[in-house]
Amino acid sequence: MTGQIFPRLLIGSMLTMTLGLGTGCSHWIELAAPTDTTPPASATVATDARVPLLLETIRVTHNGSAIAPPAILERQVLGAIEATRLFSQHYQSGHAQPAANQARVTVRLSIDNLVEPHAGQAAWRGLLVGASMFTLAPFIPLNYDYGAQMSLEMERWDGQTKHYSATSNGSAHYYLFGANPEVIEQLKGQVTEACLSSLLDQVIQDSTFFLAGTTQPQDRPIRTVSVAVHRPSSRAVPVSRSLPDSSPR
Amino acid sequence: MPLLTRILILFALGSLMTTTVVHAADRSPTITVGTQEVGLTAGYMLHHRLTQDHTTKQEGPAFMPSWMMTVTDPVGDGWYRGQVSIGAEIVYIQFREPFLTHGVGFNPKIKYTFAGLDRIRPYAEFAGGPFWTDLAGKIPEESSRFNFVLTAGFGISYFLTDHAALNIGYRFHHISNAGTRYPNIGLNASLPFGGFSFFF
Repeated sequence: MTGQIFPRLLIGSMLTMTLGLGTGCSHWIELAAPTDTTPPASATVATDARVPLLLETIRVTHNGSAIAPPAILERQVLGAIEATRLFSQHYQSGHAQPAANQARVTVRLSIDNLVEPHAGQAAWRGLLVGASMFTLAPFIPLNYDYGAQMSLEMERWDGQTKHYSATSNGSAHYYLFGANPEVIEQLKGQVTEACLSSLLDQVIQDSTFFLAGTTQPQDRPIRTVSVAVHRPSSRAVPVSRSLPDSSPR
Repeated sequence: MPLLTRILILFALGSLMTTTVVHAADRSPTITVGTQEVGLTAGYMLHHRLTQDHTTKQEGPAFMPSWMMTVTDPVGDGWYRGQVSIGAEIVYIQFREPFLTHGVGFNPKIKYTFAGLDRIRPYAEFAGGPFWTDLAGKIPEESSRFNFVLTAGFGISYFLTDHAALNIGYRFHHISNAGTRYPNIGLNASLPFGGFSFFF
């Protein structure tokens, strides 16, 4: 009788550990510390000195191969620029355009994404997890790396241009039962956002370059606006943290 | 026709009728890391007597519900571009010959799906695990009821929608007890199969 209880206890413990650890704190994201150390920038600019911005092109490559930029990425980029409040209006190529004789800043963005899904490692580790009848599932993490390198060209109405670049990398770690497409989407979103913030910090530091000189009427006070990179409170910082579990139960 | 086969056919027809066969402008289904796959597969086991010592002509229907998790995005650029899935399946075999007996097992499974052909996706799979059967002991090849199954095969998935696929394929199926008791010649069989997978 005692001899039967021990194996049952062992099997029960293993199953509990596998299911408990495998579905609990089962995935997390790490962002690498940014290589460029541009501090968060802010400035105060005259409202009337701001000019419209035209997002002319976004070129995206995925591991070196050119791909069509996803609409969500275009919205994310335009939204991030808009949130800085450095420009008076925001246009996108192919949609409504600013007037031809109006001073404007034209933006060209190039994004090179580097994806390393560690396929070979995932296959071997998966095989090991399977061979252990999934008892090793809570102990063997699988990894997914994602990096973004952005180059931004901003051309002023008089033809002068400035170039900015930023790089951001991150990794998602997950256990087999905690894998979820959302984990990878979160990783991509956070890496893109970190890279974009770094780029726009550089742009804000040059904010005066993108302002048109205006003559303010004597009888009207100068109206100003604070410009800065908008960072959501949920923005990932370059530390490891567990995400709320969103794996299917 | 056995009851289980009838149930499976009804289930398959029901799935086909309730599945909206819309090709979504022929957009390729997107299977990414973390996509789960639940499948129901059925086949018919046909014996192979590989040596003169093999005399049993075991055969019968097999049912294999499965779960899989995709662990890589498509990798590679050539014809071998594809992705890896890890999972498990329960295999139930009703041996109708030489005696009406049963076998049930649990098999961890690995699958490589070729992703270069849009909605038609060939795959290769390998599975193995413990298998209990009361056929053993009644035949000269196998003596113990506790055995192992090793199976390897290939198939083709045709995506009816972005989330449902029809599968057909072939597996080679081996049953033996890893030398835990003798005799242990092993039972070998071909297992052509068909079924459905649902992705979410």
